[in-house]
Amino acid sequence: MTLAAHASLRATRPGPASAFAELDDSHVVQAFLDGQSRAFDELVARYQARLLNFIYRTIGDRERAEDLVQEVFIRIYRHLHRFDQTKKFSTWAYTIASNLAKNELRNRSRNPLVLFQAIKKHWEADHRPLQFEDSSSRPDDMFRKRHLRALVEQSVEQLPEHHRVVFVLRELEGKTYEEIAEITGCNLGTVKSRLNRARNSFATIIAPHLD
Amino acid sequence: MDCCEFREQYSDFADRLLDEEAELRARRHLKLCAPCRRFDAAFRTGVSALRDLPSVELSRSFGDRLRGRLGHELVVRALAVDPFSGAVAAMLVMVTIGLVTWDLVELRAARRAAAAAAVSVPAAVWIPAPAQIRLDTVENFHSGFHPFDPVLLVADTNPTQDTNPPRFDVPAVWGGR
Repeated sequence: MTLAAHASLRATRPGPASAFAELDDSHVVQAFLDGQSRAFDELVARYQARLLNFIYRTIGDRERAEDLVQEVFIRIYRHLHRFDQTKKFSTWAYTIASNLAKNELRNRSRNPLVLFQAIKKHWEADHRPLQFEDSSSRPDDMFRKRHLRALVEQSVEQLPEHHRVVFVLRELEGKTYEEIAEITGCNLGTVKSRLNRARNSFATIIAPHLD
Repeated sequence: MDCCEFREQYSDFADRLLDEEAELRARRHLKLCAPCRRFDAAFRTGVSALRDLPSVELSRSFGDRLRGRLGHELVVRALAVDPFSGAVAAMLVMVTIGLVTWDLVELRAARRAAAAAAVSVPAAVWIPAPAQIRLDTVENFHSGFHPFDPVLLVADTNPTQDTNPPRFDVPAVWGGR
């Protein structure tokens, strides 16, 4: 790729109007490998938000999640020529994201930090920043909704790392068991077993708060 | 089916992966068991709330930062992967090193020349003592000879027989004659 190609990469912002919007992932990947640098913008546009949410739900830190999404795209860019195109691009991208998220959690367990998000969760209601909500909702509904959101987020964070990744991939990303097995590098039996444990733990944590 | 069995198979039940008979047994258990019903309701409500969570938005600087990093990757790749660019880069490096070396050699030679010029002292020249010229004789007086005339300096005498101390010529650049 030339510097002129880089200039085109600079000039284009990823968006749905891209010429590649109609193509599936494998064709976009092929277009990029054929020298059309703008195809990479399309891949970024397709996956940036999904990967950010996946990593954020796994590690619970938005800023760091964004850094890791950048790292995912850098790795994709570096190694796309080695990507086995008989496989799904999304699975490969999630595998990279999952590995980075796991590394992050491992590093964090070695060097524990108190995250701002963790502090924020325990703020008293009066000390929380002002939040605007849908004014059409009734106050008790709003309270329940907010309470439930906080509760499910906490419940996911309480899951052990290897259960959490599988749980998020299944419940939030809608991945199949086979895809999860490929992303996490586990066999199908392990995925099923981890998912069952994760679901049991999640329901057990959340149940007392819903009564 | 008891509660333990129900929870062991819960994941498959939630994903509707149980065979027909197992699913019927599980549904029957749910009807009869309040704790398992509560468990099932908690799971479904929780997952539903989780999916309704507002998605996290990317910061405004995300795209620019990513483009910056990809640009850096391009440069690295151009230097490392593309053999032509790599060769050009290697040649540039070699030329730069060559120029710097040449410059150093030149600089050293110039310094040496300057140092040599600064301490340049003409070699000593043996000047035999001038022949004794008597000015009191009329011939010498009228011949126009002057004792300090340079002509006298070349007047040859035998140095071995000369008892006068040697003199050194003074170069014209020093202001002497």
